[in-house]
Amino acid sequence: MPTYLLRRVGQSLLAIFLTLTTVFLLVRLAPGDPAAAYAAPTASSAELDRIRAQFGLDEPLINQYGIFLRDLFTGNLGTSYSFHAPAFDVVMDRMPYTITLAVAAITVTTVVAVPLGVWMARRADTKRELGANVLTITGQSMPDFWTGVMLLTLFAVLLPVLPASGFTTWSGLVLPTVTVAVLQLALVSRLVRREMVTALAAPYTTIARSRGVSERALTWSYGLRNSAVPLVTALGTRFAALLNGVVVVEVVFGWPGVGSLVVRALATRDYPLIQATVLVTATLAILVQLLVDLAYPLLDPRVRLGKAA
Amino acid sequence: MTGTVVGPERPSAVTARDLARATATRQRRGARFKIWAGALCTALVVLPVALAGLLPLPDANAQDLSQRRLPPLSGGHLFGTDQLGRDLLSRILHGGQVSLSVGVLAVLVSGLIGMAAGAAAGFFGGWVDALVSRFLEAQLALPLLMMLLLVVALFGPSITVITCVIAVAQWPEVARLTRSLVLVEREKPYVAAARVLGLRGWTVLARHVVPNVVRPVSLVVLLLIAQAVLLESALSFLGAGPQRPFATWGRIISDGQAYITTSWWLVTLPGLVIALLVVGVNLLGDGLRDRTRRRKGARA
Amino acid sequence: MTPTSPSAPPDRPPHESLTRRTLLRWSALGGAGLALGPLSACAGPTGAPGPGTLTLGLNRSLVSLDNKLNQFDAAVTVQRAVRQALTRIGPGMKPQLVLADRFTMSGPTAWSVRLREGVCYSDGSPVTVEDVATALTMYGKVNGSFILSLFPELPTVEKTGERTFTLHTKRPVPGLDGLMASIHITPAAANRPEELQSGVGSGPYQVARANSGAGEYTLARNPRYWGRAPHVDTVRVRFVPEESSRVIALRSGELDVVDTLTPDSAEQLTGLPGVALQETSGTRICQLFYNFRKKNPHPLADARVRRALSLAVDGGSLIRDVLTGSAEEARGVVPLALEGAVRTGEFAYDPGRARARLKALGADGLRIRIIWETGEFAADSSVMEAVADMFRDIGVRATLLEFEPGGDILKWRQGRGGDWDVIGNGFPGPTGQALTSLQGMYGGTPEKERTRDTYMGYVVPDVQRKLADAATETDDATRERKLAAVQHDIWDTWPMLWAFAPKTLLARRDRVHDLGLLKLNSYDLSAVRLEG
Repeated sequence: MPTYLLRRVGQSLLAIFLTLTTVFLLVRLAPGDPAAAYAAPTASSAELDRIRAQFGLDEPLINQYGIFLRDLFTGNLGTSYSFHAPAFDVVMDRMPYTITLAVAAITVTTVVAVPLGVWMARRADTKRELGANVLTITGQSMPDFWTGVMLLTLFAVLLPVLPASGFTTWSGLVLPTVTVAVLQLALVSRLVRREMVTALAAPYTTIARSRGVSERALTWSYGLRNSAVPLVTALGTRFAALLNGVVVVEVVFGWPGVGSLVVRALATRDYPLIQATVLVTATLAILVQLLVDLAYPLLDPRVRLGKAA
Repeated sequence: MTGTVVGPERPSAVTARDLARATATRQRRGARFKIWAGALCTALVVLPVALAGLLPLPDANAQDLSQRRLPPLSGGHLFGTDQLGRDLLSRILHGGQVSLSVGVLAVLVSGLIGMAAGAAAGFFGGWVDALVSRFLEAQLALPLLMMLLLVVALFGPSITVITCVIAVAQWPEVARLTRSLVLVEREKPYVAAARVLGLRGWTVLARHVVPNVVRPVSLVVLLLIAQAVLLESALSFLGAGPQRPFATWGRIISDGQAYITTSWWLVTLPGLVIALLVVGVNLLGDGLRDRTRRRKGARA
Repeated sequence: MTPTSPSAPPDRPPHESLTRRTLLRWSALGGAGLALGPLSACAGPTGAPGPGTLTLGLNRSLVSLDNKLNQFDAAVTVQRAVRQALTRIGPGMKPQLVLADRFTMSGPTAWSVRLREGVCYSDGSPVTVEDVATALTMYGKVNGSFILSLFPELPTVEKTGERTFTLHTKRPVPGLDGLMASIHITPAAANRPEELQSGVGSGPYQVARANSGAGEYTLARNPRYWGRAPHVDTVRVRFVPEESSRVIALRSGELDVVDTLTPDSAEQLTGLPGVALQETSGTRICQLFYNFRKKNPHPLADARVRRALSLAVDGGSLIRDVLTGSAEEARGVVPLALEGAVRTGEFAYDPGRARARLKALGADGLRIRIIWETGEFAADSSVMEAVADMFRDIGVRATLLEFEPGGDILKWRQGRGGDWDVIGNGFPGPTGQALTSLQGMYGGTPEKERTRDTYMGYVVPDVQRKLADAATETDDATRERKLAAVQHDIWDTWPMLWAFAPKTLLARRDRVHDLGLLKLNSYDLSAVRLEG
C-alpha cells in the first residue's frame, strides 16, 4: 500500500510537471505579446521593450524556463501581469467558486441520476424506461453553452426569478449547476442502471430475497452497495474534469471561477496566471483521482490496491 | 431466456403473447426504436446539410440590411434572418457543412491514432503500454478546453488545425477501449496459434487481433462524432472558429446571444439543430451498441 | 450502508469498519465544507439590491481602483468616487476644480495651483503638496501607462507655500488643467509606481469590501469627506462580462446601472418598463483606417483610390441597421464632441461612382484585407462583414481577418505580422480635447516610424508640423484656428475608409436619478440619488 501510494504520487508529480512544461512552451510559442496586452494601445516600442524586460520575457526561452523551474521549486508561481498580484493567490481566490459549482453539480447529478438509474433498472426495457433513457440522452446531447443560454432566457428573461450572472446570491448557483448536471445525467444514470441490473440478477440477491429481505433493502443496500466502485469512479472522474474548469458554462453565466479566469488570462497572455491555473487545477484533478482510487478498499474490501488484477 | 425457439411442429406452452413480453423482445424493440429514431434525427440534419448547395436557398453570406432579424416564416425565410439580414436556414446548413466535416474528419483521425496506440499498448505491453497509459493519464489531468484554445491560438484557427485539435482531444477514449479489448483478445487461443505458425507480433496484431476489435471500437467512434460536433461548436462559441464570414454553428449562437431578449430564433434554432443531430447520433450509437451486446450475449 | 452488507467479509476486525465509516463521513463533511466556503463572500438572499444600495454592472473587470494602468472609460466613474484629482472634466469638456481651488496659467510654461482648504483623505490626514509631487513622479515611472501617453510631458512641482505650488513644463502645455484630471492623488507615503491595490483616497466614498480577483467592490460613504456627502449610502460595483447578461440583469432589477452599452443592448432595453436609457455623443472614434505603409505603386498609396473606395460604404445603412442608430457618422477626423474638433467633410455613398473612379484610376480588381481585434468596438464583426459585402458590390474582393484578444494584432498593426489594407480600430478621447486625439493619430514622424510607433504608418510631415505648432500655442483663439486648419489638411489625405463616433449609452433603472452622464462616458457618483 505505501509503495503503491508512493508510485502513484510519483507518477502524478511527473504528469503535472510534464503538463506544466507543455503549457510553458505553448503559451510562449503562441502568437501574442503580453506586453502589448498589458500596455496601453498607444505605448511605444521602447516602452513595450521595457515591459518585456520587467516581465523577464527578454531572456532566451531556455533561461526563462530555468527561472520558471527555480521559482517553481521555491513555491513561487510569479506575479500575474493583469492582476498585479501573485498568480497563485489570484487562482486560489477563484478556486472556491469553481469548487462550489463542481460540488453542487456532482451533488445534483448524484441525487437525480442514482435514483433514476435504480428506477430504470427495476423497470428495465419498458417503454417508460426507454423514454427516460431518451430524455437523458437528449440532455447529454445539447451543447452546454446553448443549454445555458436557453435556461437564462427562460428563468431570467421570460420568467425573471433567477439572477443572470455571477455568484452574489445562492440562487445564482441554480442555473449553472443545472446546466452542468444535465450533461452528466445520462452517463451516471445508465451506469447505475447497468450495474443494478447485474446486481439484482446476481445469486446473492436471490438468496437475500429468499431470506425475506425487503425489496427496498435489496435495492439500496445490496444492489447499490455493490455498484459503488464503478459509480464512485465515474463520479470522481467527472468531478475531476469539472475542477479543470467548466469553461463554457462559467463564461455564459459570468461565474467568477477558474474557467472564466483562464479565458481572461489567455486573452491578456498572462503567462504566470495561465501556468498557475494549470498547476492548481491539474493538481486538484489528479488528487481527486487518487482519492477515488484510495476509496476503493473502503467501498469494497475485496479490492487491494497495488495488486492489479 | 433467449433459448426458447418455437418450431412450428413442436407444441409449446410459450404463447406469442409471452414472446412479445419477453425481455429479449423488449430489448430488441428498444434497440430498434433507438436505431430508427436516431437514424431519423441524424438524417433530418445531415441530409439538408449535405444538400445545402442544391436546395433553393439564398446565399449564406448574402446580406440585406433592410431585412435584418426577421422572425421565422416571414419574408420568404423559413428560419428568419440574422443581424445582417442573411438567411438563417442557409447559414445553419452551410455552417453545418463545416461543423460536420470537422467532426467526421476529427473522429477518423482520432480513431486511427487511438486504435493504433491502444492496440499496440494492449498487445505488446511493457514500455509501450506504460508510455501510452501515462499519456492517457496526463491528458485526463489537463484542462482540455484551455489547451485546445491555446493550440488554436498557436496555429491559427483554420479548419485543419481545429480538426487536428479535436482529434487529439478524443484519441484517449478510443485508445483506452481498444487497449482493454486487445488485452482480452491476445489471451485467446487463435493468437497463440498464429504465433505458433510463426507470424510476427505486428502481423498477428494487424491481421488477426485488430479485425476482432474494430466493430465495438467503431461504435464508440460513432458516438465520438457527436462529441466532436459539440466540441467544435464550443470552440467556435469561445471565438476559436474558422475566419469570418464562414458560418459555424457555435459562432451563429455566440453572435445571436447579443439579441437573446428580442430575437429568440438566432440562438434557439441553431442550438436545436445541433441538439437534434447529436441526439440522433447518440441514439443510433446506443441502439447499435444494445444490439451487438444482445447478439454477443446470445452467442455466448 | 447497512451493516448487513453481503459483500463485507464476516471476519473483518471492528476497528477497520470504524475507520472506513469515519473516513467516509469525514470526506462527506470535507466536501460540504468546500462547497460552503464561498458563502461568506456572498451578500443578501436575493439578487435585487436593497433600497440604499446602488449596483453598477461594468463589462470590464476593475482590477484595482487606481488608474495608473487600468484605464477604461467606465472605470473612471468608480475610481473618482474613491480617489480624486486636482481637477475633473465637467460638462462641455471644461475642467472643473476639485482638490485645487485655483489652477491658472501664470506663464507660458507655468501654472499656479492652490489646494482647497481642508481637503483630507478618508483617514483624516490632509492632502498635501508633496502628495501631488509624488503622484506625478509615480505616474511617470509606470511602464505602458495610457495616462502618461496623454501628456506631451509631465510637469514638475515647485512648492511655493503650505497649500500652493507651481507646475512647470519645458514647453507650453495649454490644456494642462484638463490633463491633470487623470492624476489621482494618494498619500505620498503609500504611493508607488504601480497600480495600488488598496489605500485611502479623498473621494466621497471609501472601499468597504473589495474582491479585485472577481472585480467586485462595495463602496460606503466616506464619513470624513471634505465636500458635501453623497446621496447614496452604498455602491456595489459588479463585473458582468457577458453583454447579454448585463441586459438581463438590468431588466430584472439585479443591476441599477449598466454603462457602455452596445447598440444592440440599447435596442433591447428601449421601451422596457422601469428602464431608462441615457445617451450623449461620444469622444471615441471608431475607424476603418487605411494602411499607410503601402508604398507608391500600390493603389492604396493614392489618396484618390482611398477616397473612391469610401464611396462603396453605405454609411447611412450601417449606422441605421447595424449600429441601430446609436452612432454618428464621422464628419471630421476626430469626433465632433471633442473640444476643438471641426467639421471637415462627409462620407458619401455611391457604388456606381466608386466603380467608375477605381476603373479610371486603374485600381479595379483590387483585393482588400480587413483586420481587427474582437471587441475593438461594439458590433465590430457585423460592421466588417457588412463592409466586406458592400465591397463585393463594386467588384472589390475583401477578406476578413479577425484577431482574438491577446493575439498578434499589434505586430500586424506595426506592419510586422502580415499584409493588410484596412484595420478596424477605436481611438479614445479621454481628455475631451481634440488635440490629444489628433496628435495620437496623425502626429507620426519619420523617427517614430523607424520603431513602427506611428498610427498605422501615418506620416505626413506637413500635418505633423502644423499639429506640433498648434499644440504649443498658448493663445486660445489662435490655437483653435490652427487646429481647424490642420484638421482640414488631414481630411484631404483621406486616412479612413469610413468612421463613426459611437454614442455613449447608459441604461438605468427608474429609481436612479440625477445621473449626469458626460460625453467622456463617466458621471459623478456623488450626485446620483436613489428613490424608493
